[in-house]
Amino acid sequence: MGTNSAQTQLDLLVLTVLSRRGPLHGYGIAEAIETLSADALRIDEGSLYPALHRMEEAGWIAAEWTITENKRRARLYQLTRAGKKQLASETERWTAFSAGIARVLRHA
Amino acid sequence: MSWLSRLRNAIAPQRLDEDLHDELADHIARRAASLRSEGVSEEEAHRRARVKFGNATQIREQSREIRLASILETTLQDLRYAWRGMIKSPAFALTAIGSLALAIGANTAIYSIVDAALLRPLPVTEPDRLFRLATPQIQDDEKATASDRTSFSYPEIEMFRRAAGNSARLALFSYGGQIDIQIPDSDAPYEHAVRQFVSGDAFDILHVPPALGRVFTTAEDRVPGGHPYVVLSYDYWQKRFQGDPRIEGLRMQIWGKPYTVLGVAQKGFSGVEPGKFVDIWMPAMMFSTPALSEPGWSWFQILGRLSPGATGTQLQARLQPVYSATEAELVKRFPTMPATIQTQFRKRSILVYSGATGASSFQTTFARPLWIVFGVAAGILWIACANAAGLLLARSTARAPEIAMRISIGASRARLVRQLLTESLLLSLIAGACGWALAQVAAPAMVPMLSSDSDPVRLGLAMDTRALLFCAVVSALAVVVFGVLPAWQASRAQPMRELRGARSHAGKLRLGRVFVGVQVAFAFTLTIAGASFLFSLKNLFSVHTGFNPHNVAVVDVSTELSDVSQKPELNVFADDLQRRIEALPGVESAGLAQRGAMFTGRESSYQVIVPGRRPPDREEYAVSVSPRYFSALRLPLLAGRDFELRDRDDQLQSPRPTIVNQALARSYFGAADPIGKTFQTPDSGKLVDHLIIGLVSSAPFDSLRQGPQAIMYGVERGDNYLTLYIRSRLGLGSIVSMVERESRATARACATPPPWTHSSALRCCGNACWPASEASSRCSACCSPPSDCSAC
Repeated sequence: MGTNSAQTQLDLLVLTVLSRRGPLHGYGIAEAIETLSADALRIDEGSLYPALHRMEEAGWIAAEWTITENKRRARLYQLTRAGKKQLASETERWTAFSAGIARVLRHA
Repeated sequence: MSWLSRLRNAIAPQRLDEDLHDELADHIARRAASLRSEGVSEEEAHRRARVKFGNATQIREQSREIRLASILETTLQDLRYAWRGMIKSPAFALTAIGSLALAIGANTAIYSIVDAALLRPLPVTEPDRLFRLATPQIQDDEKATASDRTSFSYPEIEMFRRAAGNSARLALFSYGGQIDIQIPDSDAPYEHAVRQFVSGDAFDILHVPPALGRVFTTAEDRVPGGHPYVVLSYDYWQKRFQGDPRIEGLRMQIWGKPYTVLGVAQKGFSGVEPGKFVDIWMPAMMFSTPALSEPGWSWFQILGRLSPGATGTQLQARLQPVYSATEAELVKRFPTMPATIQTQFRKRSILVYSGATGASSFQTTFARPLWIVFGVAAGILWIACANAAGLLLARSTARAPEIAMRISIGASRARLVRQLLTESLLLSLIAGACGWALAQVAAPAMVPMLSSDSDPVRLGLAMDTRALLFCAVVSALAVVVFGVLPAWQASRAQPMRELRGARSHAGKLRLGRVFVGVQVAFAFTLTIAGASFLFSLKNLFSVHTGFNPHNVAVVDVSTELSDVSQKPELNVFADDLQRRIEALPGVESAGLAQRGAMFTGRESSYQVIVPGRRPPDREEYAVSVSPRYFSALRLPLLAGRDFELRDRDDQLQSPRPTIVNQALARSYFGAADPIGKTFQTPDSGKLVDHLIIGLVSSAPFDSLRQGPQAIMYGVERGDNYLTLYIRSRLGLGSIVSMVERESRATARACATPPPWTHSSALRCCGNACWPASEASSRCSACCSPPSDCSAC
């Protein structure tokens, strides 16, 4: 994921949320992103899932099935070791990128 | 996601769909619940939740693709990687694939033979409703384990049919035998064909329809000798007549009588005996007339079909009482029969076995050896798997740094195991393909080892889906056996230690030792088994036969007359034939024996009653031989004289001139000179007197394992079934063609129907021999464990 595309940004958000809050289901992740960004980042809630599944296939996050209090099946995601490494390198990249943008905005 | 659940996804995608659906539904439900808690109505909450979620179907599709594509991609990646790995170390790959391919090939080849001979059901509808009948063999030694008797007589099948009533239908199937036929008339050259006599209802009972014309019906069951019709097998029709549609009504000459072709049986049906392909079916009514009434003449097997609802046990319960009654009757007619034998007859049961896979002596003879060979092949597969596992383990040791590197940069353990298993799978796939190719060649090459000149074995070795499935399952099992442990072991590599270059492989060493242990254990077992076969063979080499078996050809000559009463012209035929053969250039000597000849598996035996002594508990073999039989076999005449032709006339009077061997003389007359002594044998309720005129050296009769047997020899009289023993340095082929020529010439001179011959050389384990035609059945008797048949 070399580019700073929307997809990469979503990945970064998801990984960050999971690293701070521990295991969460998809709804929990979506809600966390929404509240934390104070609704600044508006995403279609559904589009979160293909991203989750892609990251799961990449081995960054792992999932397991649980049964909710309403007897529904729910999927709980958590960060893997590979995911932590990914998060570290993505964060670094993002920081450098946003610092670059900020510099340009300041000095242009 | 673990590789196991990925595999499950690939195999059952609907499970994946379900999971996706549940996950998305959970999300929407949670969102709706949260909206409701803000006071939104139930319905509105759901609507808004769905809107906020977006296009659920499209999202599901996207996720689905991600999952499946990833499975496919990583699999391809693994395969490519595995392939590169194999190319990089070709020695490893070739060794592993080679040993696995040999083992898989051997297993598949033997399986295809086992399947064709023992497992594959007859190609008829509802084969599992078929049954066959058998009874325990009566034996001198009650502890001996002889195979069941499966031959029955015509009065017996009639009795069983009545007793079975409407619970089952019973059909008659004679044993497939070779005949010489002429097409279309007696001016045409002779050609060989395999014939089988069947009752008229046999085709109907098996549900075998005609492919052309018609098959037999009960109409062919009426008049003895009155139904000169034949039905051809599809295979024979295609091969001999190129599938000519005008085959109906074609005439052919069998034993000098014209027969008409009625039709062709259904494609794929070649009789009920696996191992034998019948060319021509003849109505049972066309067999010898006495065979249709004599209770002592057992010449066919009984195969039948249970009526709907009836069971084998019920049928057995119906047949047993009538069978017990006839056997009790039989015992009453032979009051001098030894007590142990009498009890066996009285207690004799009738057995109802499944007939789904047909009924053949081939199955009886070879079932055990085939299963043993199959077991040996399985053992070899274990060795090959352990070998491959050992190689993989060694390779993973060499690759430990690489694996450690991959673990330390974040490869998951499951991913690594999967990668290594893909390598094993690739190895096994290639080995399976090579093994399959090997089996195609090996299986047909193995059949002749079970076969002999006069008793050719032919198996329908279609390399079909069953064999392919077996091959695939064996290959897959091999992966599990040889791939899983090394892969698991390799994935446990500890990156830090590996990368530092520390070499502590205690676990690997332990596992390696297990693989070596498995290999050694199986190899040891197989070597011991092989050695014991060899020792058994070596012992047989040293058995003293009492005669010189080298350069002796054995040729059966039969006239298959429809009347076996001892006609004078048969005497003339036998004498004339012997003289003609003896006069041939290259023939040193020739002798004849009648029916119960040495090592032919046919026998008759009587009690030897010495005047003034109690009748013994056992019976001794009786063989009828011609003059000069002993000199032909070089069985030394120790005292007295050989038979002469005039002895034949005395044979009908009393006392009969008889030659005994040393073993018999010793047990009945001790050290005394037996020449001139007399004894009696019971025959048809009367006692026959014998006068001993000669003493010959001892010889084993039926099995080399039993050592020399007591034998009494009478003089041979003309018979439909004669066995020629010809001492000559000529090849078997030229001897046979000479015998065929001479026997036809003799037949013309004596005005008997043309005979057929079937031949074999005496095959020897050192001094020990039997005709090759009997080698198959003999092997099981003489070389046990019997899987050294090929060596015999």
